[in-house]
Amino acid sequence: MSTLLNSLTTELRRGTLTLAVLSQLKSPQYGYSLVQRLEKSGIPIDQSTLYPLLRRLEKQELVTSSWDTSESRPRKYYSLSDYGDEIFNQLKQEWEKTSQELYILLKGEEEDGAD
Amino acid sequence: MELIELYIQEVTRRLPEKNREDIALELHSTIEDMLPENYTEQDVKGVLSKLGDPATLASGYRDRPMHLIGPRYYDVYISLLKMILPIAAVISLIALLGDDLFSNIGEKTVIEVVIIIIGKGIAGIISTGIQVFFWLTLLFAVLERTDTSKDSLPLTIGLKRWTPDDLKHIPNISKKKAVPKIEVFGSLLGISIFAALYFNAANLLGVYEKSNDGLTFVTPSFNQEVLNSYWPLIFCIIILGAFLAIYKLLAGQWTRKLAWFHAGYQLLTTITFIIIISNPNLLTHEFIAYMSKLFSTLEWHGSIYWGLILLTIFFAAHDSFQGFRKAKIR
Repeated sequence: MSTLLNSLTTELRRGTLTLAVLSQLKSPQYGYSLVQRLEKSGIPIDQSTLYPLLRRLEKQELVTSSWDTSESRPRKYYSLSDYGDEIFNQLKQEWEKTSQELYILLKGEEEDGAD
Repeated sequence: MELIELYIQEVTRRLPEKNREDIALELHSTIEDMLPENYTEQDVKGVLSKLGDPATLASGYRDRPMHLIGPRYYDVYISLLKMILPIAAVISLIALLGDDLFSNIGEKTVIEVVIIIIGKGIAGIISTGIQVFFWLTLLFAVLERTDTSKDSLPLTIGLKRWTPDDLKHIPNISKKKAVPKIEVFGSLLGISIFAALYFNAANLLGVYEKSNDGLTFVTPSFNQEVLNSYWPLIFCIIILGAFLAIYKLLAGQWTRKLAWFHAGYQLLTTITFIIIISNPNLLTHEFIAYMSKLFSTLEWHGSIYWGLILLTIFFAAHDSFQGFRKAKIR
């Protein structure tokens, strides 16, 4: 892939990352389990972006965190707060609207090309 | 094991004290999560390279920006720099002017004095330029870091958001009307050199003769006492000249007002020149004697006198006319 296409793709995906992360936090997750879940759904994620992102979301009070020390190694679990849930639902609607609009737009362009 | 600790240290040392422990602990458990059981050093390296440069990771954790001046302030910063640098340069040249009038020239030739003044002027501009650059950059770097507003849109020069009304304040200067900044600096430097030469004419301007150790000063051309007696006029010219230069810089373009000021200044300098050159005691006896020896007759005196006056009037009139012509351009 050319570097230009690469950077454009990264830019396109960057905004959706918050949405993807929020969607997975209905149940408590720790950092690496979140990476695995996202990767399983085909969303590649830069780990050096994800961990700071989780902290930022916590600072913005969208997620809450707690340390679980019951297992052999302590882990920090993150989960959606009530406020986070509310924001997530609104953001999801925005995304659905945008992708719908974009889909129609791209579809129309395809048909124009077929003429 | 060692590598992991070092990596975490590299990240946390870039973070504020209060977050360090928590982030270190979380990173530790994350890295171990990523590693297989009974891992080798190779595995550790693989995981760490996935996490990437510790500096980048740390900057992600930190809220502070990784740039000195970001897009929000960059434009204001550059505009202010462009506005202040020429003003600072002019101020440093004016300071040079003050310096010249009272400086002790000593045993130097004209060319040396001119070179020294130009050198001082350039050095002054550079050092004030560096000062302005440093302090303005520092100010904006601090502003960038203390601005807590969520708004990230670029700001205009008034530190407000842009609105269409801002367009009304933009002067529309065409290239033909503009006063080049270099002209302003040039005239200030010129006034500076003139002042130094004028008040040290007895030591600088005169007849030089070739000798074994270069040029030697034989006799001065001008009576310093005669020149000094005109000091109020000369001071007027120097001060008004400096004002005119500043006015040109601030106006940025030729206007009718500026053209009038400019023409008035030309008139003043021309009249002063004629008054001084008409003083019968202006030239020293030694100089006249020296010249008479060279040219045998004294006829040259009269024709040069009128020639100089005509030339001065011609150039002053031409210069004033150019000012009015440029002011008329739309």
